[in-house]
Amino acid sequence: MKILIIEDEKELVLTIKNFLETEGCLCEVAGTYHEAEDSLSSYNYDIIILDLTLPGGDGLNLINLIKETNKQAGLLIVSAKNSLDDKVKGLDMGADDYITKPFHLAELNSRIKSLARRRHFDGGNEIIFNEIKVNVDSGEVFINGETIELTRKEYEILLYFIVNRNRVITRESIAEHVWGDEISYVDNFDFIYSHIKNIRKKIELKNGRNYLHNVYGMGYKFTDR
Amino acid sequence: MKLLQKTNRAYFIVSGTAFIIAGIVFYFVISYFFKDQLNEKLFHDIENIKGTIKKSSTIPDYYPFFEIREVSKQPEQSFKATDTLIFDSFGNKNIPYHQISLITVINDKEYFIAARDTLIEEDDLLEVISIVTGIIFILLLVSLYFINRRLSMKIWEPFYKTLDELKEFSHDKPGFTLSSESELYEFTELNTTLKKLTEKVISDYQSLKRFTEDASHEIQTPLAVIQSKLETLMQDPDLKKDQAELINSAYVYALRISKLTQTLLLLTKIANDQFPDKKDINMAELIEEKIKMFEDLMTEKLLTLGKDINTDCILTTNFFLAESLVINLLGNAIKHNVKNGVLNIKLDKAHLEISNSGEALPVSPMNLFDRFYKTNMASDSPGLGLAIVREICRLNKWAVCYVFEDNIHKVVVNF
Repeated sequence: MKILIIEDEKELVLTIKNFLETEGCLCEVAGTYHEAEDSLSSYNYDIIILDLTLPGGDGLNLINLIKETNKQAGLLIVSAKNSLDDKVKGLDMGADDYITKPFHLAELNSRIKSLARRRHFDGGNEIIFNEIKVNVDSGEVFINGETIELTRKEYEILLYFIVNRNRVITRESIAEHVWGDEISYVDNFDFIYSHIKNIRKKIELKNGRNYLHNVYGMGYKFTDR
Repeated sequence: MKLLQKTNRAYFIVSGTAFIIAGIVFYFVISYFFKDQLNEKLFHDIENIKGTIKKSSTIPDYYPFFEIREVSKQPEQSFKATDTLIFDSFGNKNIPYHQISLITVINDKEYFIAARDTLIEEDDLLEVISIVTGIIFILLLVSLYFINRRLSMKIWEPFYKTLDELKEFSHDKPGFTLSSESELYEFTELNTTLKKLTEKVISDYQSLKRFTEDASHEIQTPLAVIQSKLETLMQDPDLKKDQAELINSAYVYALRISKLTQTLLLLTKIANDQFPDKKDINMAELIEEKIKMFEDLMTEKLLTLGKDINTDCILTTNFFLAESLVINLLGNAIKHNVKNGVLNIKLDKAHLEISNSGEALPVSPMNLFDRFYKTNMASDSPGLGLAIVREICRLNKWAVCYVFEDNIHKVVVNF
């Protein structure tokens, strides 16, 4: 998957780029408005990550160019402004998703993957991890071919883990992904544990392996290694 | 009071007083000339009577218009003018008369002669004067009223137009103009000043908005770098337990700064009224949705939830603000609750009441809605939730109050 990151903060670009490259993506970077114009007119991308505050111009103005030159690309807007106006305007102009800084890398990854699935760049509507198969269209989960019944929250947590497999996922990141921004209102994330316990139980009941591991005080890791 | 009403009232009082004074003066002047005229006539009558007496030596009887008596041994007396009442046997009442009297010697005899005329004309005169003045007064007032109305409508037209346009003014609506033009200097000045003022308000508002957004950007971007670096560091498989704890602790605090900045930004935005889009919001639906969101937290604390939610509470406000209000109130009621406690939500057409069990506040509830107010200084939360609630209520002109009774904290919002 070929991704263009339009973002001026070098350190952030570096982290995102390294992160996405370990996920197997091909990344290019544009640090200014004009670099972005050049890249967009010369190449085609699958996913474009656009920061709205750029040196040399307003990121919103790039959306039209993206729609002209990279019509098939999924567009994810990143903004530090958390301004409702920008969000509405961006989505109206044709952006597919909007994420506010600071964000969790796992959340960014999940949004990109979901965008890729919707645009069918990433193998369609099924995600397979060893004996686990998730159909993202129907929301069904199969273990060794047998369906298991998950609640909506359990399903979202599991999907988040599978998409971010082999990575440490923090509890804060899971809470924000599943319950929304407002949940960070609370300072105790113990309630996530009971959901994870349930997921484990349901998978093991169908003879699935336990891939969910605690990682010290940080969070969880979904891995078969 | 309207301007027209005010000027009309002033016209009425001033012209009324002027007319009453003019009427009184008019009466005295007329009455003076009338009596003067009467005196002259009566002098003439007395001279005639004197001639008649001289010639015929008889005393004619023209009572009450003349009264002639012989008087003895009285000195001569010159003309004297007096007003008097004389009983009229026909009309059976006293009638006012004006008389001129003198004592004079005719043919060596002394006579008292008085000539009189009734003053009934004078009463009639007063009546006529009052009626005529009254009619003129009313005519003048009516014409003044209409002239004034027409004139002020015409003169004040640009003013009212400006006023209507100003009512439509909103600091976040760009392109505000004042269209009315007037040949009157005062209104042109007014419009010029208003134009400057509104332009200033709009530009101040825009720069404030830009400032808060820029400040937020400048803080959130470095935080995004910190957060992503820490998350990357967390992926290192060789991390030791104590290192992991250090990283996690830094990570949690970075998240807290980020949340704090967002909350402060939100408070500023509410104070600046940066949430103009309003629509009808079904509060019952919103509350049910948020209850679902907080479900896990309530289960975790083993809370008993009591709901008395009427579905007819529709508020016209900004959706985001209504959502923030509910989230903050619910979140607070859960966070400051005790294990196995209760949480009650009551909603009707005009009130939202959220109550929860909990320990009594150690300090005055007056400060509860203040920014950064915490009952427990060691608490992780910055104490901004209720400050946001208060700002949202202030913006929407809702009343919010807090009561503590029988170990139950209750926050009531009156829409």
